Amino acid sequence: MISILGSANTLGLFFFGSMSASMSHEIKNALAIINEHAGLLDDLVRLSEKGKPLSTDRLKSLSANIGRQVQRADNIVGRLNRFAHSARQPVITTDTKEIFEFTAALVDRLASMNSVTITVGMDVEVPMQVRPFVLENLLWVCLKTMFSMISGPHSIEFKAKKKDSDVAIIIQFDEGVPVEMIGVHAAQEGQPLLIALRAVMSPDVQNNSITLTMPRKFEE
Amino acid sequence: MKILLVDDDQDFIDVLSDRMIIREIDVTSVTSAKEAFGLVEKFSYDAIILDLQMPEIDGLQALERLKAINPDLPVILLTGHATVAKGVEAMKLGAIDVIEKPVDIRVLTEKLKKINTQKKSWWATKLHSTLGLKVL
Repeated sequence: MISILGSANTLGLFFFGSMSASMSHEIKNALAIINEHAGLLDDLVRLSEKGKPLSTDRLKSLSANIGRQVQRADNIVGRLNRFAHSARQPVITTDTKEIFEFTAALVDRLASMNSVTITVGMDVEVPMQVRPFVLENLLWVCLKTMFSMISGPHSIEFKAKKKDSDVAIIIQFDEGVPVEMIGVHAAQEGQPLLIALRAVMSPDVQNNSITLTMPRKFEE
Repeated sequence: MKILLVDDDQDFIDVLSDRMIIREIDVTSVTSAKEAFGLVEKFSYDAIILDLQMPEIDGLQALERLKAINPDLPVILLTGHATVAKGVEAMKLGAIDVIEKPVDIRVLTEKLKKINTQKKSWWATKLHSTLGLKVL
């Protein structure tokens, strides 16, 4: 049990590192744009000192752009902060949709780098008891495995439904994704997480999906 | 001087282009490596400024392809987080420099000026050696 927890913690550390690196990169991009705007303002002031008129419309537009980039960076910092707190969050009752939406936001940049679009397709609430960080980590293992096995644009939909006393989390892929290979590799790498969540991973080649079945009520 | 700027962040290329235009640099900007390949096949540029991390085709893959289209094309790579390994890989693939974001416009324009000077000097030597012409 100790080695399984140890492996889950190691996977968690890798997950935390990957997400933090990605989000800090996004923040740096926003800061780079703010830096260029500050530089451009400085350029325009120097030109105005040499007699070129300074357009107020241009200044308004630059100011609005800076505001947008600050908002962008602030959103990323908010996400990073929520993610950092989730790493030490205990088992809670939450809606699966909320976990899907947060995971999709976390991996958005990395998915986009791999030309993958992620959507959440759920109309009804499917509450479950879970450590959100561990489930997010398992979803990331599946996504990361997929990214390493595809080329070209693809899409994924996260869904969940109640199944007796369990919840079935469905990762629905589009055509042309090697579902079986992803299932085999993700189950192998994510084994400690599957054990921690008491989950079973089943690839469904016919329907281009992977289903994670786990109890809705988590008993210690 | 004609520059092609390639970065997937439209906001970034818009503002960096404005700053380069103020410095009398003729800049064309695109948001994907694919667009850059098409332009490099059709037009001539003095240098390319290329983002290292882009969707679909990343900077290193793009660099390799651009060098295959035009081996003499000077390419400067831009990166959010420079690592020594990436820098070495970029240099091996033929990049002339790797610049970390946020960009210092003075550093960037100095590097572009240097490329321009080297290019002029290369042409002068070539014309002198092959045709005996002296470029003023």
